[in-house]
Amino acid sequence: MGAPVPSAGSSAMTTGPALKVTGIEKRFGGLVALDNVSFQVMPGEIVGLIGPNGAGKSTLFEVVSGAQQPTAGRVEFDGQDVTTSPAHLRRRAGLSRTFQKIRLFETLTVEQNIAVAAMQSVPEGYPWRDATEEALTRMKLTGLARRRPSNLTLADRKKVEIARALAGSCRTLMLDESLSGLTHDEAQELVSEIHDLNKKDGLTVVIVEHVMSVVVALARRLIVLQYGKLIADGTPAEVVQNPVVIEAYLGTKRRVFA
Amino acid sequence: MTTQSPVQHSRQSDLDHASFVGSWRVWVTVVLAIAVAALPFIPAVDSYMLSVVVRAAIFIALGQAWNVTAGIGGQLSLGHGVFFGIGAYTTAILFNRYGIPPWIGFLGGIALALVAAFVMGAATFRLRGVYFALATIAVSLGFEEYARYEIDFTGGDAGMAVRFLGDSLWALQSRDPAPFVWFTLAVVVGFYALTRMILNGRRGFELQAVRDDEEAAAAAGIDVVRVKLWGFLLSAGMTAFVGSVYVQFYLSIDPMTAFGLPQGIQIQLPALIGGLGTAGGPIAGGAIMILVSELTNWAGTAIGQEGIDVLAYGVMLLIIVMRAPAGVVGQWERLFRRPGAAP
Repeated sequence: MGAPVPSAGSSAMTTGPALKVTGIEKRFGGLVALDNVSFQVMPGEIVGLIGPNGAGKSTLFEVVSGAQQPTAGRVEFDGQDVTTSPAHLRRRAGLSRTFQKIRLFETLTVEQNIAVAAMQSVPEGYPWRDATEEALTRMKLTGLARRRPSNLTLADRKKVEIARALAGSCRTLMLDESLSGLTHDEAQELVSEIHDLNKKDGLTVVIVEHVMSVVVALARRLIVLQYGKLIADGTPAEVVQNPVVIEAYLGTKRRVFA
Repeated sequence: MTTQSPVQHSRQSDLDHASFVGSWRVWVTVVLAIAVAALPFIPAVDSYMLSVVVRAAIFIALGQAWNVTAGIGGQLSLGHGVFFGIGAYTTAILFNRYGIPPWIGFLGGIALALVAAFVMGAATFRLRGVYFALATIAVSLGFEEYARYEIDFTGGDAGMAVRFLGDSLWALQSRDPAPFVWFTLAVVVGFYALTRMILNGRRGFELQAVRDDEEAAAAAGIDVVRVKLWGFLLSAGMTAFVGSVYVQFYLSIDPMTAFGLPQGIQIQLPALIGGLGTAGGPIAGGAIMILVSELTNWAGTAIGQEGIDVLAYGVMLLIIVMRAPAGVVGQWERLFRRPGAAP
């Protein structure tokens, strides 16, 4: 959890960026998926990462979370260079993520899904059972604790995945299209949850979406990717008026502005 | 089936399983164990029947060992016979050549199996896909060849016989199968308790998380390679121990029995039939299989046809895969449990 759990080693990163990505390049053979992408996310920000399908959002997500290694460039988290550190160590340090297609441990109960993450990253001396309970409560999942994920609605499954990402120590939460596929009401509820995580618990949030209307409701700042390049970085108002962005979107996906 | 609400007020947790003590499972276990332990005292039970019980217990114990890495941890070790063979040969060679009793030989077998498992796991657990499964087969075939051609050391193709001292606790040998009934029963009960402990403890959650989804496990902070290795090492050590027990009872071992692919396949059957990843699965599966094997042997002798047992295993496995992929135990739970609840 963000606030309730005392986060480990929180001395050095009050001033610097939570996340600093410098000159990231990712090639798959001849294909350049990410081309010299650089940006920063300050602690407590909610940043939206947008772009048309195939823009490189997911690849960037994978590289930042440690699921994939960049071909070149550097990823820093809370002032530490984590470019070569494996995904599980980044998570333990407080950089959490969800998946575009929800990935839960289907044979474990909701509670066990969360507990297994809490165990890995609770600060020294903090009971993981308490951290599990906190994450359950935080995402309002207490009533579903002993259920199997396969019996839950999509909205609840998304909440479980977020709770698993929060459990233990989480300071930056990266959400991969967490709002897609939800009904309007469900999406609204999740948006307000994410808002709370940011406001009350001080969590830094990076959210990937390809539908801009959704992300505008949450993020104060948008980063736009196209063809693996960062083409805009600014407030939603600035980004929407940016001619490069307009062309990128109108060229491929007119309906995002609907 | 029932109308119980999923919402529970004074909430029970799946994270504390002290509840096992006092649950019906513990009583079933105790009653079954006492019943098996009492068999040697029943006059109608002859020593052939006792030796069948020992065979069943060894078979079950191997299934329990494999279940740890493959069932709970999801790592498909197809050549698991290699650890069985290492345990059997190590104990036999240490005893025959150096007079070292099996009580110490066990440890030697386990240690060697751990080294072999570590090398295999460290080499392949970082890779995705079938490399691990292939490595286990390759290594087990390698050991088979070695045992075949190092005649001076292993007795070659014909295998080796353990020096028989008669009834001896020191050498863990006995003319009467009864002590082996008790000993192997203790192993099965011990492995059962160990499996339950793993399943309900931290390592069990980690192993199952890795089995369900490696990438999500890493994203949850789990050191995937380390967890896989832990499960594989434990499983290898358990298997080697059973190999050592096997050779004490049968007093002989040969390359095919030890390292052959049939052994590697047999080890998988109890858990596959009984229920992968469950504590009771290998016990149910192993017991059913030995029963079928005895019945088909008997029927086969009656009609003068051999190999019916293998056919029966195949048919059973097909039925399980098609009709009840969760095995006998899984099917049981499906029938008698309310949906959505954790076991």
